[in-house]
Amino acid sequence: MRFVSLGSGALLLGLVASASALAQPAPQPAADISVTIYNNNLALVRDVRTLDLTSGRQRLEFKDVSAEIRPETASLTAQGVNVVEQNFDYDLLSPAKMMEKAVGRVVTIVRTNPATGAESSEQAEVLAVNNGVVLKIGDRIEVLRDDGLPARVIFDKVPENLRAQPTLSVMVDAAGAGARPVTLRYLTPGLGWRADYVAVYDETASKIDVQGWVTLTNTSGVSYDAAKTVLVAGTPNLAAMDDGDADEAADASTGMTQAGTETGNRARLGDFYLYPLAERTTIANQQTKQVSFLDVRGAPASHGYETRLAWMQTIEEPRSVQSVYRFSNSAQGGLGDQLPAGTVRFYINDKQGAPQFIGESPIGHTPMGSELSMSTGDAFDVKVKSVVESRTRNSLFHWKTAMRYTLSNALPKPVTVALIQDGLWGETRILAESQPSKRRSAESAEWTVEAPANGKTEVTATFDSKY
Amino acid sequence: MRQALLAALFSALALPPPAAARDVIAGPPRALSVTLYRAPWRQGGSIELGNLGGFALIKETRTVHLPAGDSRLRFEGVVDGIQSASAIVTGLPEGVIEKNRDAAILSPAALMRAAIGVQITLVRTNRKTGKITRTPATIRSADENGVVFETTQGVEALRCSGLPETFTYDRVPAGLFSTPTLSVLTRAKRETTATVTLSYLADNFDWAANYVATLTPDRRALDLTAWITLANGNSVSLLDAGTQIVAGRLNRARDYADSGEGGPRVIATCWPTGTTSIPIAEPPPPEQPRTSVAEIVVTAARKSVPMAMMAPAPPPPPPPEQLGDLKLYRLGERTTVAARQSKQVLMLSQAAVPFTRTYGADLYAGGQGTFTPATIILRTRNDKANHLGLPLPAGHLELFDHAGNEELLAGQADVRDTAEGEDVELKVGLAPDVQVRQTRLAYRAGEPELTFLTPELLLALHKGRVVEEAEITNAGAAPAPFELRLQTWNALHVSDADQPMGMKDGRPIFRLTVPANGRVKVRYAVGGP
Repeated sequence: MRFVSLGSGALLLGLVASASALAQPAPQPAADISVTIYNNNLALVRDVRTLDLTSGRQRLEFKDVSAEIRPETASLTAQGVNVVEQNFDYDLLSPAKMMEKAVGRVVTIVRTNPATGAESSEQAEVLAVNNGVVLKIGDRIEVLRDDGLPARVIFDKVPENLRAQPTLSVMVDAAGAGARPVTLRYLTPGLGWRADYVAVYDETASKIDVQGWVTLTNTSGVSYDAAKTVLVAGTPNLAAMDDGDADEAADASTGMTQAGTETGNRARLGDFYLYPLAERTTIANQQTKQVSFLDVRGAPASHGYETRLAWMQTIEEPRSVQSVYRFSNSAQGGLGDQLPAGTVRFYINDKQGAPQFIGESPIGHTPMGSELSMSTGDAFDVKVKSVVESRTRNSLFHWKTAMRYTLSNALPKPVTVALIQDGLWGETRILAESQPSKRRSAESAEWTVEAPANGKTEVTATFDSKY
Repeated sequence: MRQALLAALFSALALPPPAAARDVIAGPPRALSVTLYRAPWRQGGSIELGNLGGFALIKETRTVHLPAGDSRLRFEGVVDGIQSASAIVTGLPEGVIEKNRDAAILSPAALMRAAIGVQITLVRTNRKTGKITRTPATIRSADENGVVFETTQGVEALRCSGLPETFTYDRVPAGLFSTPTLSVLTRAKRETTATVTLSYLADNFDWAANYVATLTPDRRALDLTAWITLANGNSVSLLDAGTQIVAGRLNRARDYADSGEGGPRVIATCWPTGTTSIPIAEPPPPEQPRTSVAEIVVTAARKSVPMAMMAPAPPPPPPPEQLGDLKLYRLGERTTVAARQSKQVLMLSQAAVPFTRTYGADLYAGGQGTFTPATIILRTRNDKANHLGLPLPAGHLELFDHAGNEELLAGQADVRDTAEGEDVELKVGLAPDVQVRQTRLAYRAGEPELTFLTPELLLALHKGRVVEEAEITNAGAAPAPFELRLQTWNALHVSDADQPMGMKDGRPIFRLTVPANGRVKVRYAVGGP
């Protein structure tokens, strides 16, 4: 972050100018940067550095603040300093802007003689820039490069308000001169984080090893050097902002079948858990960075099958059921930590002992002590077929439906499938069924079906629905 | 000790600890293993070379020499479709402090953006004399709106003067890499050599099963061959890799594609350059020939299937092993999965699979229409009795028949993931010789309750009744087995048929035989409850 003071104050740093002899970015003045990153693409940046201020009014310019900074959230604090006003300039330097700002001013035109290669230069006033540049040279009017011949245009300087990057400038009134720490704090989108879990399931022992990594991404346009970084597992509401991410998070499956009630021992911020990184780190622009936060070996887990029918439907082509892995994050018999939202990737060792990927599942913010059930994908060998055997009408709003479900298993071992019939709308009773069901809710019934090795099991049920 | 002191000193100055970390380049990848997964949304059909929706798990082993202290270990030449969040690094003595994926790829734009504010050299060539002028310059801005630079003469814009001009740079700025790079910050107590395993998921791979079914001369059985077609759409080749294929559909969470390579673009846009005479618009480019390049490629790929059959193929790989609820195929030898390449490997070869051929139509009970061709259905069962009994992964099937001495394409069908013991039903095409027409002969309205509804729905909702006839014609010289199925939704039911009616999956079915060069009519009534 470059940091220059202009106006009535002394030029603070000659570093930028002196560094231009190197083909390297300018060395940064020592700044103490803290970044607090929330889940929903939002970060609080705190930048503390020592500035030598003069007494009275002066303008402090902050180049290379996040290109996505929310300037209204910026606040500057320092001992004995009052903020007069804050400006965020985003008129960016480009050839077209520079020419527009040169209207009414004098530029130098350098022409190259096509026959001799000799250069000649003259002064020109820019009259207009509208789909082309009209110049006044001496007492004649000319259109720039109308003849197609080479002509350089040289401007004296970069116009004051045009900048290479969006720049935050703060007019301050300092009581007394001298060096003092100055703190700039602002909110910016473009920094975010999520969790990525590696879950290796051991089929013979029914155990799971879980590693958790926080993955932080920076698309804010600048780098944060040696930043003290804290991640907040939570999504503060963003007033009056289009917050698509939060809506999506609410809709997504969280994998949680029972929310936990255990309190973790991590640091907290209000209702959120904090994940401070152990060491300062540089979050470069366009970078994805991962840091470990969880490593649990041999937690108990189980594997099962689940299939869910959205309504009383006929599926003639057998459909694969979902392969489901279940575990807990309780302190007893579980991962023993709350789990920030992200993605869980499941692996299983193949016959040669190499871990192979078997699917992934989203996970929500999960309090400690929760029960989790996550689907990795289709079971190749276990399938369900459902048939509406008959549907009869007693009246326009009173129907009777007979269903037959066939669960087939091509594995050489018996499997247990949770067969869930959703869509039992209205007042739906089960009149008859081939095995007892569990009513999950008014809209949903569940059968636990054992399918024998290389065999099939049929379940039948008759529903009586009044709407 | 000295290192620690130095590190402490640096942190006291609040300089980045990575500054203390030494850059270490990991050795080239060895013992490469790649496992390919198909696109999760594709339940059957072939892959599209231009749009590979699958992915791969890549594992590689590299030798690294770590100095004592902190190191920034760089893995160069990872596949460009890497999903860096999935990367797993094992084998480092003290573990991993952090993993990074920098999108900073060396490109002209990245070079110019990295040089903003620092001194570079402006090079101009005089077109007439050929004289080259080198001037120190500083880039003031470089983005998609243009490039502005400053020299001792003043401020100018790049590519506006009409002169040949460019910049030269002294060196590549730190942090820009020529290939996609993953880096890991690690710490070693003493200098050490370690063997590190890196695994990650990468996009832009895919595979599908391509089945070739050739009818035996008596047309009662088919010889089934299946090829694994796999493709790598990345720009990195996987040389001599142990290759596996996983069959089955996996869940993928939201697509976390890595951010675009190289950051923002730089375009040397100039100020408005209109002139007094607007040049005549350039003539439009000649129209592209109707066959695009892509189409040619696809045609070639199609042709390679039967051609591949001609050559004696290597034996198919052993049956797949169970991987959780998926199937893992090991492709025998180590293969090279080159960049932007698709390749085919034999998956299975089963001779003389018996099947039955049936014609079918699936019509709405109560509907009507003109003559339409029947669907050709081939049926068998995936078991040992039918010379199968092995997992059949999703893909595409091409059916070949004999015409004289030639084998010609006689139909195509998509194949879904089919487990052992399942029925296989292939709808390979339409039969012009067998046609079906459904005619409504009589309609009797019931109690009109909801008159805006379609006749079919009216039938279901009140006591309406329709009598209809299905006529099936056969222009073939052999009797055709035919299955007429009726879709009866809500409480519609079919009665009073003049042919025996069965039920299949809750719906009425007529199993008929249409005589050679003849016709069959079925009459039935459809009514509401």
